[in-house]
Amino acid sequence: MIHTEHLTKIYRMGEAEVYALHDVNLEIQDGEFVAIVGPSGSGKSTLLNMIGCLDKPTSGSVFIDGIDTALLTDNELAEIRRQKIGFIFQQFNLIHTLNALENVALPLFFAGVGREARLKRARELLLNVGLEDRMYHKPSELSGGEQQRVAIARALANNPEIIIGDEPTGNVDSATGHAIMAILEGLNKEGRTIIVVTHDPEIAAHAGQTKRMRDGRVRD
Amino acid sequence: MRDKILMAYRSIRERRSRSILTVLGIAVGIAAIVALVSVGYGMEEAITGELTTFTDLITVIPGKMVGATYVEQGSFTDRDIKDLQRMGGIKAVTAMTYGAAEVEYRNQRRPIFILGGDAEELGGFYLDPVGLKEGRWLRTNDYKACVIGNRVATDFFTEEIRVNDKLLINGEKFVVVGVFDKASTLYAADVDPHIFLTLRAAKDVMQTDEVKYLMVRVYTIDEAEAIAEEIEKRINSNHGLDEFATAMTMGSMLEQIGTVFRILRGVLVGIAAIALVIASIGIMNTMLMSVMERTHEIGVMKAIGAKSRDVLSLFLLESSMVSLAGGVVGCVIGVLLARIISLIAGSALGIEFVASVKAVVLLGGIAVAMGVGVLSGFYPARKASKMSPVEAVRYE
Repeated sequence: MIHTEHLTKIYRMGEAEVYALHDVNLEIQDGEFVAIVGPSGSGKSTLLNMIGCLDKPTSGSVFIDGIDTALLTDNELAEIRRQKIGFIFQQFNLIHTLNALENVALPLFFAGVGREARLKRARELLLNVGLEDRMYHKPSELSGGEQQRVAIARALANNPEIIIGDEPTGNVDSATGHAIMAILEGLNKEGRTIIVVTHDPEIAAHAGQTKRMRDGRVRD
Repeated sequence: MRDKILMAYRSIRERRSRSILTVLGIAVGIAAIVALVSVGYGMEEAITGELTTFTDLITVIPGKMVGATYVEQGSFTDRDIKDLQRMGGIKAVTAMTYGAAEVEYRNQRRPIFILGGDAEELGGFYLDPVGLKEGRWLRTNDYKACVIGNRVATDFFTEEIRVNDKLLINGEKFVVVGVFDKASTLYAADVDPHIFLTLRAAKDVMQTDEVKYLMVRVYTIDEAEAIAEEIEKRINSNHGLDEFATAMTMGSMLEQIGTVFRILRGVLVGIAAIALVIASIGIMNTMLMSVMERTHEIGVMKAIGAKSRDVLSLFLLESSMVSLAGGVVGCVIGVLLARIISLIAGSALGIEFVASVKAVVLLGGIAVAMGVGVLSGFYPARKASKMSPVEAVRYE
């Protein structure tokens, strides 16, 4: 389970203080599929980065499975990201020097998994997203939808309980977007918690639950 | 580890031309060190190697070295020579004289240095190591005969001088009985530009009775230092001066040469070190640019679970691989350069030696390159590892 307590993030813009998140209290149960929607600048990406342990709050805390992440060191946060969370980005963010297979295997590399085991798992994951014939292609040789499917396979490498997507369909056409959401729905049926940020109501409709954000606050 | 090396190699290859330039930057520094040090060793070995065949020799000069300048205090007398001949442990004493004379050949006049000494002893010094191109060596009873150095024969006059040609030395007629071969490094300055006469003929032609130096051979090399001191004492008391004569054993000369070469090596290594510092700034620059370019990539790696340590080691590995390559390439270039320098020195300057490449120098060069790589890669690598993942991911 993920929950936040008085989660606040303040950015300083010169003299002014901007509340990207303002006392957010939120609960997401295991196995839920949550869409976070809201206009740009409402703080939805900041919230996602906090939950994903990529960023640290100004005050308040994010609890993942009861662990107060505000108390963890950078290395411990890296550990949480590696074990519990898989990321999918709008820009796919694949490493362009590595081919699809190596990109998927990369999180396992940082987890210290041996080469053979790593590549075997990466092959399975690519097979699951239907890219078995694109394994040795570099990201630049893949379409947007294919790249995002590689990114999903990468997010699944360490078999995390939580998948986080920041506008995962933002850079693909709508048909591909629905295909990607279908994959995420499938992952949700396997029991994983899915949290997706989007501003597209159609995409949000795939989720079981929608949380609306405005001016750094969540309104259910 | 193998995988990390592979990843580092990928990103080096990705920036191929910049990586090659960085490798070359380090290679130049290392090549300079390897080449200069090897040339230094080679020269030292060439010179000390030839000198060690004369370890039973003591050279006595009527003066002393003040810094690098020789201050002559007078000349030796017959009494000095007789005293030395009576001393124990001495095998032979040879009186030598030298001076400039005007030499005429086929109506051309040149000032040339004349060296006079006992025919047998002089021959012992110069004949074996240098050798004659033609003719024969001086005999003790030769009077109007001379042997000439290679450059005297070929360079000094328009026409080449051959055996049986006649020279006028200070107006006196001499027959050339022998011509030396071109001398090696150590002997070039002593033999090539000189004319050799018997001591008697030299004294007559230069109208002097002065003995400018003595060459003494001892029976036992171990006693050479003690005998040298005794020689100085005897001659000083003959002349009533405290520091009239200086007697140098070959051992002390070898030591002096060693000191000179140590200083020379120090200077050369200093120059090369400057080149290395510049090269290391180059590595740091390359790595910093690489970090900046890959800010986004670093953020992604962190988001998918890389720890600071992982990022640090990847970047450090990259810079040390680049510098290892630089070190190896530098050693290869350095060895080639050393060979080329010794070839050029041999043909253009007449200094003959073989550059001496020591394994220690090569290993040292590679070690220095690696050290430079790790040190100058550390700051960029640390900077990369400390990046906040969310900012790094956002960076485009």
